Amino acid sequence: MNIKRKTFLKGMAATGALFAVNGPIFNSLALAKTSSSSDGKWLPTSCQGCTTWCPAEVFVQNGRAVKVKGNRYSKQNDGVLCPKGHLALKELYDPDRVKVPMKRTNPKKGKGVDPKFVPISWDEALNTIADKMMELRKNGEPEKFLLMRGRYSYMRDSIYAALPKVFGSPNGISHSSICAEAEKFGAFYTAGNWGYRDYDLSNSKYVLIWGCDPLSSNRMIPATIKRFGDMLDQATVTVVDPKLQSSSAKAHEWLPIKPGEDGALASAIAHVLLTEGLWNKEFVGDFNAGKNLFVAGKKVDESAFTEKETFGLVKWWNIELKDKTPSWAAEKTLITEEQIHRVARGLAKAAPYVTVWLGPGAAMHVRGGYSAMAVHALSGLLGSIDHEGGVLATAKIPVKKFPSFSKYQDALAKKHSKKPKIDQRGTKKFPALKNGKSGGGVVTDNTANAILQDDPYQIKMAIGYMNNFTFSGTGAERWEKAMEKVPFFAHITTNAAEMTQYADIVLPSTITQFEKMGFVKTKANRYATATLILPVVKPFWDVKMDETEIPWLIAEKLKQRGFSNLLDFFQNEFKDPETKKKPTNGIEFTEYNLKNQTAPLWDGKKDVGGDKLNGWQDFKEHGMWNSSPYKFKKRWGGKFKTATHKFEFYSETLKTALGKHAKKHKTNIDDILKITNYEARGELAFVPHYEAPYRHGSLSEYPFDFIDFKSKLNREGRSQNLPWYYEFKKMDVGDMSWDDVLQINPIDAENLGIKEGDSIKVTSTVASILVNAHLWEGVRPGTVAKCYGQGHWAYGRFAAKDYQNAVPRGGNNNLLMPNDYDRLSGSSARNGGFTGVKIEKV
Amino acid sequence: MAKIKYTMVIDLQKCVGCGACAIACKTENNTQDSNGVHSYNWSDFTFKKEGKFPDVKYAAIPVLCNHCDEPACMEGCPEPKALYKTDDGITMYNYRYCVQCRKCFEGKTACPYSSPDLSKTDAQYSVISFNEPGTTTHPFYSDKKALIQGGTGSPAEMSMKVNALPPDKHEYSYKDRMKPEAGQKTRGKGKLADVRADGWVEKCTFCIHRVRDGLNPYCVDACPSNARIFGDRNDANSEVTLLLKKHKPKRLKNNKGEFLGANEKGTGPNVFYIRDFKPQSKNA
Repeated sequence: MNIKRKTFLKGMAATGALFAVNGPIFNSLALAKTSSSSDGKWLPTSCQGCTTWCPAEVFVQNGRAVKVKGNRYSKQNDGVLCPKGHLALKELYDPDRVKVPMKRTNPKKGKGVDPKFVPISWDEALNTIADKMMELRKNGEPEKFLLMRGRYSYMRDSIYAALPKVFGSPNGISHSSICAEAEKFGAFYTAGNWGYRDYDLSNSKYVLIWGCDPLSSNRMIPATIKRFGDMLDQATVTVVDPKLQSSSAKAHEWLPIKPGEDGALASAIAHVLLTEGLWNKEFVGDFNAGKNLFVAGKKVDESAFTEKETFGLVKWWNIELKDKTPSWAAEKTLITEEQIHRVARGLAKAAPYVTVWLGPGAAMHVRGGYSAMAVHALSGLLGSIDHEGGVLATAKIPVKKFPSFSKYQDALAKKHSKKPKIDQRGTKKFPALKNGKSGGGVVTDNTANAILQDDPYQIKMAIGYMNNFTFSGTGAERWEKAMEKVPFFAHITTNAAEMTQYADIVLPSTITQFEKMGFVKTKANRYATATLILPVVKPFWDVKMDETEIPWLIAEKLKQRGFSNLLDFFQNEFKDPETKKKPTNGIEFTEYNLKNQTAPLWDGKKDVGGDKLNGWQDFKEHGMWNSSPYKFKKRWGGKFKTATHKFEFYSETLKTALGKHAKKHKTNIDDILKITNYEARGELAFVPHYEAPYRHGSLSEYPFDFIDFKSKLNREGRSQNLPWYYEFKKMDVGDMSWDDVLQINPIDAENLGIKEGDSIKVTSTVASILVNAHLWEGVRPGTVAKCYGQGHWAYGRFAAKDYQNAVPRGGNNNLLMPNDYDRLSGSSARNGGFTGVKIEKV
Repeated sequence: MAKIKYTMVIDLQKCVGCGACAIACKTENNTQDSNGVHSYNWSDFTFKKEGKFPDVKYAAIPVLCNHCDEPACMEGCPEPKALYKTDDGITMYNYRYCVQCRKCFEGKTACPYSSPDLSKTDAQYSVISFNEPGTTTHPFYSDKKALIQGGTGSPAEMSMKVNALPPDKHEYSYKDRMKPEAGQKTRGKGKLADVRADGWVEKCTFCIHRVRDGLNPYCVDACPSNARIFGDRNDANSEVTLLLKKHKPKRLKNNKGEFLGANEKGTGPNVFYIRDFKPQSKNA
């Protein structure tokens, strides 16, 4: 019966038969009637509750969205979603959504100061914004305009790149480095890809999850959930994480590492693999004479070893690994020598069918770029890079690049958009070496400091969309002060968030998954995917699409004021690829823009592999495109995008990048390492290595290491206004429903005289929060853990305890965590025990 | 032909405790938010936590109505019984006969998986929830207060705007198989399609509206780990039968996470659990 039907559909999807010669089965037709008693249509779109970016479907009845599931054609989620997907409905029907544009009538700005918002028309809102923009151009200072991007789709370039740069500002500032860049640093400076990895979990024989819970977060949630139960049969599953979470609760082995000591564990595992001759010979190569010369404490002659797909193994051994014994690491990590040996040998036995899953917990430390490299280098030693059952890059998604807007930039725009960006990237103390380039990446959180310092210049006007940096940035109070200082701020948002409280103009935006049009790229399970975001219901409030419709409307207003360049660009470069018609309004612009970018996937002009789509309508009906599976060993044979084209254990790529950055600042690399707060000097800076964790707060005054973790139910920071979030908060291991708790080991609690449920004050070097204590054995004595998400003092009636008086419900981890960075990547520090806290009963 | 005996098997090794089933159930069945006394979660979880750091054991166990062979809820229900068994084994509720005596979830004859007041028990869930007489269902959407006058909406406005309670209400209906006999007196009010009204008891129906159409209960289809398997235990070749043969199944004893002993029958639950949240042993 039912089961057969489900299997049937899945089977069809797996074989690609849904795109058979007899013609496609459309989403809207295939299950138009799931039930005689439940009429409606499943319509495709995408879930943006986290960065998995799942292809999804929404069940629509009488114009209302009532249920959500995965897209039936997806080879990643196979038609099912994690809990976040289902929560999305309540975000659409959140009663606290902003219904209409608003303006501030109280000029005073500050936390807890009522902006006295009043509704206005779109016309008035846009006129005000355009007037302010034109004033900057008139004064010859367009660089003082700042565009802040939060959660985005690949429609982003209209608002994030074209709008500021055609106008004359370099300042499109993304949120990227508040959540991830250090992780990408690890992959880039070993394997040459600045991005997230994919993992072939179905074929792994050993899965080592490091610094994340992939059942809760980290970019391939449903694909991991689906495979986890079978993985426990077919593989050894081990989790490195200071706190017990879902995957470690299910895993065969849990390594509750002391926060920040990930580099020590990684180096010690590498040490065991080498001293015991357990590296993968096919990938790494071997000693010329066949005899293993890696003996603890002893240097090795580089010429004695011939490498295959890798570069610098012996250098790495000599510079870093030879003394990094398990007994050395056991002291640092509090993981026993025996366990380190067992894991290393287990990995080697399963290699190369090994997944070492590098998560943010191993990377987003002050100095964490190097531990990210150390963890990722294990995949090199084990030969699992691009190997079946191993760690993969992404199959290509052949969409078109955003068209060039340079010919629409006038002299003023050309000159001023080349000024340094506000976030101080590329300055001496912020190398932010994305893709090997000094200042190549964003330093999101430093934007607040730069605004406060007017360095490199004052920001006079800002627009932000889908961002809430006053809540999501570390050292959140800095952002509050910075936003107070910006003279004019327009916020494009769904809810009156913390950031919105500083806005002069509020522009209500669509809810991505249900009301917007765009697309995102994603991957999992060897397949890369382009998935459409489609308006499955009509907006019921006066809201507009953030990334395309609103910049179009601003462009129209700028034209009315004599500056037509942006609108000219939008009109001329985004013709409908089928009819060649120019867009005449923001909605047409959105659709033509989307069609242009995705045309190679559906126009049939060139075989791009993967799903065969029969035109735009067909794409819209499927809602997504799957690539062909990623080809194993794709980068083997010298095709890594590193300086040596090999997998680098000695990173010539990093050496070059650091050298260029030092040269730019007329100094040497050691000086850069010193000013950016790393311990390494000399050659150590070019290999994956251990750096002692950097901690804010002395052990005597702030005795506990604070661990920030992510909820299964966090639709990024956006689900805290939904009652179901609180009802099911208990699904986060060690958390409680309808509460925001600090998880504390009973031994520590007893010493502090704290009992279950006590109200406590948690204080770091920068701020305090009030939460409740939950006594729980899943955290190591000396560490305390709290989930990110609660502590909103605005956003809505459930998110805040008292919206009118800015009283938070629970506590925001970002208040506690000081503003610091892994400066080589530009990443904000969030993990690695960098926040010392003290706890008092109140 | 043997009668159908609907059964659910929950594979705890596959379950990752994500909660998708519980939330998806709420979207399917329009259940309201917890009021602290009643959860209104037809699909929910109980947890087991044992041991000391670092040897800590944690298990999430998905729970729902066990659709027992000898349901206690039905035992105590006065004649004519509002709670009844369908021919295929689903435990259903007929509001027409309900006298609001509360015996199905309170007192000696209550369902062992239910509690009359979740704020006064260490039980983590209740299969049966009750809509107290005189209360409003989905009271959240009665609130007319907006945070920003004219700028943001209110729950009541939201619900009216899309003409649905709740605004994401999934419209569905099913036929009650047990019609009152001619002349028989019935009680209660409200429309059957609403699933609930004040004075009604409510609980999981095994998604009878879907099952009657040949579909799985929604929690089964929504589970991202394929941990839930639904089928006919009287069919020797069904997946549920095969799984129950292959593994040593367990059944819940109460709503405190305890399982029935090997020789205990309890009320004859038809929801079975196989394997463990954390595998028993492995050459780690």
